Amino acid sequence: MTDRPGRPDRPEADDSDRFGPSTDGGERTDEPAVSRTHEGGPAGSEPDVLSGRSRRLVSLIGRYRVPIGLIVLVLFLRPLVSQPWALGFGRIAATMLIWMLFVASFNLLFGFTGLLSFGHAMFFGFGTYGVAIAVSRFSLPFVAGAVVGITFASAFGYLLGRLIVNKGEIYFAMLTLAVAQAVYFVANRNPYELTGGSNGITGTVPPWIETYRGETTVVLGGLSVDWYWAVAAVFLICALGLWQVLRSPFGRSLIAIRENEALARAMGVDTERYKIASFTMSGALAAVAGALLAISDQGAALETLGVLTSGDAVLMAVLGGVNYFFGPLAGVFVWLFAEDYLTDFEVLYFPLREFVLVSVDLSGVLEYWRFLLGGLFVVIVLLSPKDGVWGFLRGLVTRVARVGERLGGGSRER
Amino acid sequence: MVRVSDDSDTEGVDAEAAGTDAAIGTTTTTGTEAATSGTAASATRPTSDDSPREAAVGTVGLTRKFGEITAVDDVSLTVPRGELRAVIGPNGAGKTTLFNTVTGALSPTAGSVWLAGEEITDVPQARRPHLGLARSFQGNELFTDRTVLENVRIVVQTTQQGPFRLDLFRDAGPVGRERATELIERVGLAAELDSVARNLSHGDQRRLGIAMALATDPDVLLLDEPTSGMSPGATARTADLIEDIQETLGLTVLLIEHDVEVVLSISDRITVLDRGAVVATGPPEVVRDDPAVQDAYLGGMRENE
Repeated sequence: MTDRPGRPDRPEADDSDRFGPSTDGGERTDEPAVSRTHEGGPAGSEPDVLSGRSRRLVSLIGRYRVPIGLIVLVLFLRPLVSQPWALGFGRIAATMLIWMLFVASFNLLFGFTGLLSFGHAMFFGFGTYGVAIAVSRFSLPFVAGAVVGITFASAFGYLLGRLIVNKGEIYFAMLTLAVAQAVYFVANRNPYELTGGSNGITGTVPPWIETYRGETTVVLGGLSVDWYWAVAAVFLICALGLWQVLRSPFGRSLIAIRENEALARAMGVDTERYKIASFTMSGALAAVAGALLAISDQGAALETLGVLTSGDAVLMAVLGGVNYFFGPLAGVFVWLFAEDYLTDFEVLYFPLREFVLVSVDLSGVLEYWRFLLGGLFVVIVLLSPKDGVWGFLRGLVTRVARVGERLGGGSRER
Repeated sequence: MVRVSDDSDTEGVDAEAAGTDAAIGTTTTTGTEAATSGTAASATRPTSDDSPREAAVGTVGLTRKFGEITAVDDVSLTVPRGELRAVIGPNGAGKTTLFNTVTGALSPTAGSVWLAGEEITDVPQARRPHLGLARSFQGNELFTDRTVLENVRIVVQTTQQGPFRLDLFRDAGPVGRERATELIERVGLAAELDSVARNLSHGDQRRLGIAMALATDPDVLLLDEPTSGMSPGATARTADLIEDIQETLGLTVLLIEHDVEVVLSISDRITVLDRGAVVATGPPEVVRDDPAVQDAYLGGMRENE
């Protein structure tokens, strides 16, 4: 898992995507890295021309490290999970991207605005049910269903936000939970035969989707694209949009509210309106992920709206690290990877499958993968609740880089 | 301990103490008139014929209760433009509650708040900095995980953009950065530009708080114990800083301060609060010698010991 895509392309380990401490103006954040590489060699030994050009390159990469990381992630996620030593099949990659988008939308609210929603599944579900109902019940095109679902989620988020956003942390969490449960029960009641009750909606396949031997393909005109790439395109657009929102003046105001809401208000930030806007955007983005899920799952399942889905989003975000842009994405990866990997895991051969000294039958134990992840979650919360897996990896890379630098500097001095 | 909450008593005390100084007489009358008319009709401006609409910031019969406790009791203040007014009083006198009510963090139980001749009692808190009313906090309220630059920059950005703006399509980094840097240099934190706020020393954090308050481009600045917890040297430097800022920017400053020397040396006038009510208002030397003030203030101090 240390080989996660998205990391190798970051020249400078600290603060690449951290919207917490010391992330600041784009240009300035890069300077520590630049000065460090500079200090690495003894003064004057390297030609200044090269250092000037490489400095600009490092600064450029530094500024756009999140987009670069996202592209790398999208390119390498599927090949990575398809490896025989990993999961051995690529289909889960699309699901991972969808969940990454969903949990990232949740983290806009939790990690970057400081609002804990325990009912984010409802927005996810609005997207899924929007598409499923439109396509299966009314034979409308997918896009129409997606637009309806996303619009509904936005409007719902806006109105609900106006009602509850200023009720205080715990009450906000409780109220989102309560409303999400209400939505769940409504869907379960199957009003006007729309939602299909506990069976959900199945067989939602728009005409441009072709499925053959478990491989889903998008056929538009003469063009045939693997479903993964369609999801990847939407994911990339939304994730880049989210990144832009977080670096914009608007996003900085959200972060200020997260850091100290009373102070933000005293300094003239209309915290309520910012929080409502954040809630609305977060809901809309979750609905986009939901709309994709309707195609991936070929329908809408009631448990998508359930409290477990909301809870998983919270757990995945915290597991990954809520203070980082890539935190929730890492959390989803670890979670879904573990779910698949551990449930299929039967016998541990040590040290190698070909050269066994000890073999342990773990199939009975690893069925409790949720329990194991729960344990990991507890450890992370106890150690550093905001850093998560991603923060841990970054800390590791920083330390390794520092050691490497010291060694490199020393050898050059000789 | 004498508790003076009645306006006529306040007048008596002040007139007695004033004697030579005509200015105090005027103030006291101002306060009294405003307060009496304030109870009659709450929408009266906190000014008298002597300073019509000139008050930079004022309150009329301002009262804030927490259940049975009256934290601010019928306070009428008139602070003319450009004045450095200290608010002193024993612990629990209601100084911070007065600030919170003026800035809108708390809504008053009764009475009204005025800024530059306009009533702002019902203006939401987040709007008030945009009208020129800024404050610093007693505790070190900062965006603790952010850099010094970002702490000030976000306030400059807010001041430029107003309470809310959906400004999504550009990088926030350069927005307000120059102005923020300038303000940070002004309060003497240039070396700490890129430090994370939580790692600053206590005194530097207080200074950062002042820079953030200044970043709102205030006309009226409320400073809540800016020197608390500082060494004597740092206290003196901060006092100089406040005086310098007030003079060069022509600010009206309302200052809560415990350090008697600071209060006596930099304030133009002093308002003494005790148990939520104004005991006296006047120039430092007069207030210092006021027996009622000494009684209230020192009496309160002694009780605490």
